[in-house]
Amino acid sequence: MSKKLLFAPLAVLLLAATACGSDSKSSGDTAAPAGTTAGTTAATTGAAATTAAPSAGGAACSAKIGFMGPFTGDAASIGQEQLNWGKLGIDDFNAKNGTTFSLVETDTQLDPAQATTGAQKLISDADVVAVLGPAGSQEVEAIGPAMTTAKLAYVSPSATRTSLTVDGKMPTFARVVPNDDAQGPTIANFVKDTIKATKVLIVDDQTSYSTGLADSATATWKTLGVEVLRESIAQKSTDFSSLVAKVTDDVGAVFLPWQIAANAQQFGTQLAEQGKKAVVVGSDGVYSPSDFSLEGAYVSSFAPDVRGVPAAADVVAAYQKAHDDKFGTFGPPVYVAAQLIATGIQATCKDGKPGARADVTTAIKATKLDNTILGGPVALDANGDVVGAKFYMSQIKGGKYTLVG
Amino acid sequence: MGQFVQLVVNGLTLGSVYALIALGYSLVYGVLKLLNFAHGEVYMIGAFLGYGTLHTLGGAADPALPVAVLLPVLLVVAALGSGLVGVAIERFAYRPLRTAPRIAPLVSALGTSFFLQNAVLLVVGARILRYESEKLVNVRSGIHEGVLNVSVMRLLVIGVSFSVMIGLTIFMRRSKLGKAMRATSYDPEAAQMMGLDVNRVIMVTFFIGSALAGVAGVMSGLVYNRVFQTMGFVAGLKGFTASVVGGIGSVQGAMAGGLIIGFAESFAQGYVSTTFYDVVVFLVLIGFMLIRPRGLFGVAELKKV
Repeated sequence: MSKKLLFAPLAVLLLAATACGSDSKSSGDTAAPAGTTAGTTAATTGAAATTAAPSAGGAACSAKIGFMGPFTGDAASIGQEQLNWGKLGIDDFNAKNGTTFSLVETDTQLDPAQATTGAQKLISDADVVAVLGPAGSQEVEAIGPAMTTAKLAYVSPSATRTSLTVDGKMPTFARVVPNDDAQGPTIANFVKDTIKATKVLIVDDQTSYSTGLADSATATWKTLGVEVLRESIAQKSTDFSSLVAKVTDDVGAVFLPWQIAANAQQFGTQLAEQGKKAVVVGSDGVYSPSDFSLEGAYVSSFAPDVRGVPAAADVVAAYQKAHDDKFGTFGPPVYVAAQLIATGIQATCKDGKPGARADVTTAIKATKLDNTILGGPVALDANGDVVGAKFYMSQIKGGKYTLVG
Repeated sequence: MGQFVQLVVNGLTLGSVYALIALGYSLVYGVLKLLNFAHGEVYMIGAFLGYGTLHTLGGAADPALPVAVLLPVLLVVAALGSGLVGVAIERFAYRPLRTAPRIAPLVSALGTSFFLQNAVLLVVGARILRYESEKLVNVRSGIHEGVLNVSVMRLLVIGVSFSVMIGLTIFMRRSKLGKAMRATSYDPEAAQMMGLDVNRVIMVTFFIGSALAGVAGVMSGLVYNRVFQTMGFVAGLKGFTASVVGGIGSVQGAMAGGLIIGFAESFAQGYVSTTFYDVVVFLVLIGFMLIRPRGLFGVAELKKV
């Protein structure tokens, strides 16, 4: 047997190991290809909310805010959008309130291990009084114990797993998006009542966001008497057509609780290619008018498109000017989370310095934003969930998202 | 039955893409005995070059050229661009290490791979981009009879892939350069002594292998639509697996290996599990390594002592 051929499988292993290793290291700060947000939005912040009790006693308040997100790696498309919106949020707040809050960017690559390391780094920096992020539910869970011990507040703009806020294990955690308890049943009821499907295929993408949401919808469908089939495919899969081939004619709807809108678009295109009639229903993760435009498909969201929210017009214009119009649902909540954190910190400021971490946490949780770019007020309950949060359903007609429920 | 037919079509499409990637691995291994792990990134760059060209020419919704002209243009631009990237990789990452221990070029290959991935991230950004080929050619055009659904894009991919493979086989057997490549592969020192410019042969090999990867990238973009900076990793790994299954160093082996891996993936998704299909693909690799370690078309190496 040739040694060279024995070498081949070894090389595969080596390559795989090296690649995995590098996934979890690579650059500590971001590659930021999209340019940085200039602080040019002073005039554009009129609509963006504030309240609480801004009491900057004398000197301009200065503080560091940790910012955790998947700025590189496989979810970098989400991370870069979040990065841009987060910077815009803080820049706007500073411009309006005369504060000098700065962001300490910490790349997590959507990896819990990397998030834990990043959180330790932020905890050990005494100047960091609150954290914006992380993005994924799995990351929030991973850093929970350390953040609790450090009494450091962290506000996620996109972690929706219900269990994060139920048992009080993470008292310093808060989020500005509704949890899956709201989303799963909203979608399930909609599919039963409006699409009138009696058999549904769920395809999760093997992330905890996706499986959690799939489970939540399944529970509701079972109580409604809808038959549920379940499949699962990795986000990075090249081809969905063999999975699509499994969709039988009696499947009325395919539910895709995914985070990559382009994947959902491809899945729907392949359904059409194979002449399947099932209606595609996407979760908030695929809410992206630029990337998901499958005619007749439905998609849920925590808010209507911010492009259509009057209170968001100036901020959206500023974002479009500095970056582009290609953003989905993951960006705008970061802006709101940034404002929530900044408002909370400002409320504790004395002589230009923020209060202790525990005080900042209390202040953030007590903060109420009267009017946000998401189209309504944001206030937190004792568990850190948004009060009265609900999901919306839109249908894609002629390439446009139309609110239908 | 309907599902089986569809899985055959899917396997053939996927296998065609893998086969072209596998050819690059095999050609380079043939002449240099080097596993070019940056090859997956060349495929990714090819996909991006195709995307860039498509959008320079007006995009899928409103192309400046008729589709019949546009598609060959995409393939040619990606092939030339990727070929040049391959030549540059050889010149800067491998040639200086040609006499170094074998682990050195392997590490250099991995480094090049990450360099290219991150360079693309920096230049293009992280968003997953779509060719939107459904706007270029209706997905319901092509053969849609009963249980058989083969879109025009799939026919194109399968057709181009097989034509390229047949062309390459003829090139390797008949042309002077093909013979030179085979001679270099057989014994580089003897080839040099016979007056062959080995550096040039290696350069041409990299160019051809990388051009094929570029073509595979565009075809993947046209059928599977999505292009992103990490797409080369898994595709490269599958292409490499295909070349090993077929017998690394063998042109026919790479083609057969590509199709085997494509079918394995498609049938595993259809009949085993969409969650664990990659396990099946790599079980095929392990099975081949155990039963026929030199691969389907590989030749046991004779060593004179």
